[in-house]
Amino acid sequence: MNGRRIRALAGRIIRGLRHDPRSVGLMIVVPLIVMALIGYLVGTDREPLRVGVSAAAASDAGSAAYRTAFVTALRAQPGIRVVTVASEAGGRAEVTDGSLSGLIVIGGTAVTGGGAPVNVVVAGEDVRVEEPVTRAAAAAAAAASGHPFPADGMPGVTVTRIAIPTGRHPSTITYAAPALITVFAFLFVFMLTSVAFLRERSSGTLDRLLASPVTRADVLIGYLLGFVGFATVQTMIVLGYATLVLHAEIAGSFWLVLLILALLVVGVVNLGITLSFYARNELQVIQFIPLVLMPQIFLGGLFWPVATLWPPLRWLGDLFPVTHAVTALREVMIGGKGPSEILGQLGALAAFALVMVLAGVAVLRRQRA
Amino acid sequence: MDAIQVRGLERSFGAVRALDGLDLDVAEGELLGLIGPNGAGKTTLIRMLAGLLAPTGGTVRVLGKAPGRAIASEVGYMTQAAALYEDLTVEENLSFFGRIYGLSPRDARARAAVLAELVELKDKLHTPARDLSGGMRQLVNLTCAMVHDPALLLLDEPTVGIDPLLRRALWAHFASLNAAGTTILITTHVMDEADRCARVALIADGRTLATGTPQELRATTASGSLEDAFLHLRDRGAA
Repeated sequence: MNGRRIRALAGRIIRGLRHDPRSVGLMIVVPLIVMALIGYLVGTDREPLRVGVSAAAASDAGSAAYRTAFVTALRAQPGIRVVTVASEAGGRAEVTDGSLSGLIVIGGTAVTGGGAPVNVVVAGEDVRVEEPVTRAAAAAAAAASGHPFPADGMPGVTVTRIAIPTGRHPSTITYAAPALITVFAFLFVFMLTSVAFLRERSSGTLDRLLASPVTRADVLIGYLLGFVGFATVQTMIVLGYATLVLHAEIAGSFWLVLLILALLVVGVVNLGITLSFYARNELQVIQFIPLVLMPQIFLGGLFWPVATLWPPLRWLGDLFPVTHAVTALREVMIGGKGPSEILGQLGALAAFALVMVLAGVAVLRRQRA
Repeated sequence: MDAIQVRGLERSFGAVRALDGLDLDVAEGELLGLIGPNGAGKTTLIRMLAGLLAPTGGTVRVLGKAPGRAIASEVGYMTQAAALYEDLTVEENLSFFGRIYGLSPRDARARAAVLAELVELKDKLHTPARDLSGGMRQLVNLTCAMVHDPALLLLDEPTVGIDPLLRRALWAHFASLNAAGTTILITTHVMDEADRCARVALIADGRTLATGTPQELRATTASGSLEDAFLHLRDRGAA
């Protein structure tokens, strides 16, 4: 490995794209057009969620007082509209048929000086509903008990998810943004690297490189650095458009969002290099895109829920990097989760990157004696 | 020491035997022309010498070592088609390959300027490679191969599709490089180019038919044409 050669290789890619303003323009304009179109179609869904409250009979005066304080605090939470339901069973039925977004059930007995157990009932696995309702319940519990929530020894907020028929919840831009960002990053990085590497092979410049003192690692790292920069710029544009123009939210760390995308890009750059080896021309490389990307979009739970799919298809979806990238981005951007809570997804993306780097090395090995 | 020493070299691609026991010696400082028809195995041999292809049999020594990264910085390799980055200018192409061979960005640019002066490409320095004519591309292609001042140049059909004027200019560059001490192995299927080489090797069907000066090879037939000599030798080999 040699820093000077890696810088030359990365610089070559950046310089080449700089002399090719049309490609760069397309990289920027196309995602913006698609984002604008999606923003127009879905609108910015900001209706408050209708949340039902149901309480078991209070076992004592303290518990009754807690319950009243809890409901008062809950009504003050932003983003939800609280309605009282007659019974827990009735509330569950309303959640199932969609007339309620969620149901908050307060336990009958409050711990002295603490709170009562709270159960949040939501339909399906829609993080757009589950997350704000749970957050509101936790905030109300904190306000009612006078303790930061959750405090030690206090009953927490549990979540019950009711299985629902798929496709009921409309997508909002906040929910769609992680999927769009992931798809754009994947698509453009894959196209750029696979075509660039195919040209490298067909023009003979790869032969020239491999006849030089360059190592395979130099080539892979050079390509990576060259394209990571462009992928980052593009991600920023999509992210910026989603947050500033379409008012999508990023609850968690922006840097964590970049880390997730960086891991994905490392894998995709090497996937592009590897697959370009199996294409004879640029048309064939482009034909790989539906093969590589479509199953990930369909089975990754990007726009359509997959919880009720035939299990083997779900397992297949779990193998795809896009699935993990979107899940991780949703947890961070919508759920505000930290790195320790998405370790599984980060690990899966790192494994994908590693496997693809090894595949890239293997492909380059076949190009050199 | 021989710059190139090839003994009984074999290489098969599936059922096709591209090289079938080829022998070749190129002395240091020599300009040797490797002459043979299309499909004789010229490009396969050059790719092996450049370390891009492993032999399936026989031995290859380049500058006393096995081809590969150990000697890569001593060898310049000019591919058959112009291997250039289309989106980069001539200068960017030259300095990129200079940096690949370990020059600093500044040294690489300086070297690009010197070489461009040498091959009279100075006014094309800032032209993107995609806008060059075919002849110019080959000239830049050659210049990229000599950017690191190699001791041995491997040139694979460098004059294909080049007009006579530029072809003459290219050969003049080969001759002056050779005079300055660079060993050159050049492949061609154009027989008249052989006369510009000090020594030629005739190859066909992956084997060496004969080596010698152009005059020696001509003497093998009555007509005194190298083409006839080639056909005569090949028929004798087949018999």
